[in-house]
Amino acid sequence: MKNARRTYSVLTAALAVPFFATPVLAGGVPAGTLIENTAKATYDAGDGPETIDSNTVVLRVDELLDVAVASLNAGPVATSSGGAVLTYSVTNTGNGPEAFTLTVNPAVGGNDFDPTVDGIAVDTNGNGVYDPGVDDILTSPETTEILDPDEALTVFVLLSVPPAAVDEDEAQVDLLAEAVTGTGTPGTTFAGAGVDGGDAIVGPDGADDNALGTIIVGITTVDLVKSAIVRDPFGGTSVVPGSVIQYTIRADVTGSGSVDDLLITDPIPTDTTYVLTSLTLDSGALTDAADGDAGEASDAAGITVDLGTVNGGTSHSITFDVTVDQ
Amino acid sequence: MKKGRIFGIFAALAALVSAPAMAQNGQSVALNGDVMVVKTINEDGAEPRTELVEPDLVVPGDRLLFRTNYENTSAELVENFVVTNPLSSAVQLAPDTSGDQVVSVDGGKNFGALSALTVTEESGTVRSALASDVTHLRWTLASLEPGESGQITFYAIVR
Repeated sequence: MKNARRTYSVLTAALAVPFFATPVLAGGVPAGTLIENTAKATYDAGDGPETIDSNTVVLRVDELLDVAVASLNAGPVATSSGGAVLTYSVTNTGNGPEAFTLTVNPAVGGNDFDPTVDGIAVDTNGNGVYDPGVDDILTSPETTEILDPDEALTVFVLLSVPPAAVDEDEAQVDLLAEAVTGTGTPGTTFAGAGVDGGDAIVGPDGADDNALGTIIVGITTVDLVKSAIVRDPFGGTSVVPGSVIQYTIRADVTGSGSVDDLLITDPIPTDTTYVLTSLTLDSGALTDAADGDAGEASDAAGITVDLGTVNGGTSHSITFDVTVDQ
Repeated sequence: MKKGRIFGIFAALAALVSAPAMAQNGQSVALNGDVMVVKTINEDGAEPRTELVEPDLVVPGDRLLFRTNYENTSAELVENFVVTNPLSSAVQLAPDTSGDQVVSVDGGKNFGALSALTVTEESGTVRSALASDVTHLRWTLASLEPGESGQITFYAIVR
């Protein structure tokens, strides 16, 4: 009876070993994890129930070196001016903490032009968007901080487009990440270089990975053409006191990209006076006041029309009238 | 020759006398385990083959062979011999394990054949237990003759 109770308590202790769910990691159980195994036996010998434990075998999980790089841009990134930013993720898919060396190759075969690499930045504030002055620019040799297993880092590649590039030119840019511990064919082992002095072994993907991002040049130009029609008080076209001059400003936007915040301003010429409520945009009237519509006009400040974002291949026409002062 | 046989009888008697003392120490049976890595060798032009290597290098995905040797070291018959092996949470039972293997999928509360057990998901749905659900393995032998020995094994994959 006493023996039986002891058996029961031993089994209870065995069951009470904390059984916790292993976190599901892409790279498997963390490097340094100890795998312990002990078998227990219960049986009836001549004197009643007995229990016995086997020896405990202990294995330490070694470090697998693996990394995944992906482009985070949904498609080609349009660049209208001289600079562009491509966004990538670098994910530690191994099972131990590891840093990765980053290398950018802007001279990918088939490129219409090769962009200039201005730097590699990491998303320090974690908002997914490159913030100049906030996100740290890596210094050579560009190396990430140590990433925990499954930890992903957003990386920005800062590029500039050479002047020779023309509208609609495309260029691919390759970002390569290599495990600092080492790379090589899968199975290559770095003795003692893993977690807790264990070994590090190159994973199935070679401990390095790369991904391509694409920029496309959208050079967009704005041409402004101003013309004037004069009607004098006598039915002619002479500029005399009392003549009305109608100015037309045509904004032609050309190219594959778009321009943002296109603002057209024009002062009222000296010795003329703005004709109230004469401002129009694409034949539609605009009020003179600074209000909800795109335009405002006054004798002192001249005319201002905010066209906002304008796509290449479109034109806008602005007109306003002035009278020649007496 | 004759002298030797007498000595043999004395030895057996001595074993019988000392057997109760051994039993009190819980030493009627010896259990001794080890583990090996099952390494798959792929050579050009040959079928992949496996060999057992010492576990000097172990990474996630590796297939391990856990072995436990048992021996009835007493001179008594041992009955109801049950070996229970909790599975480390860092490994999962190999998916090719026989469905007849007696296991627990609830931390050792209930045991049954793997193919007969079910798991209730958090959502409430009940599904058949998988090798990856197994928390404990169990083997039962009705009896062990004095001196009888054997080995129990199972394969597991490092998670």
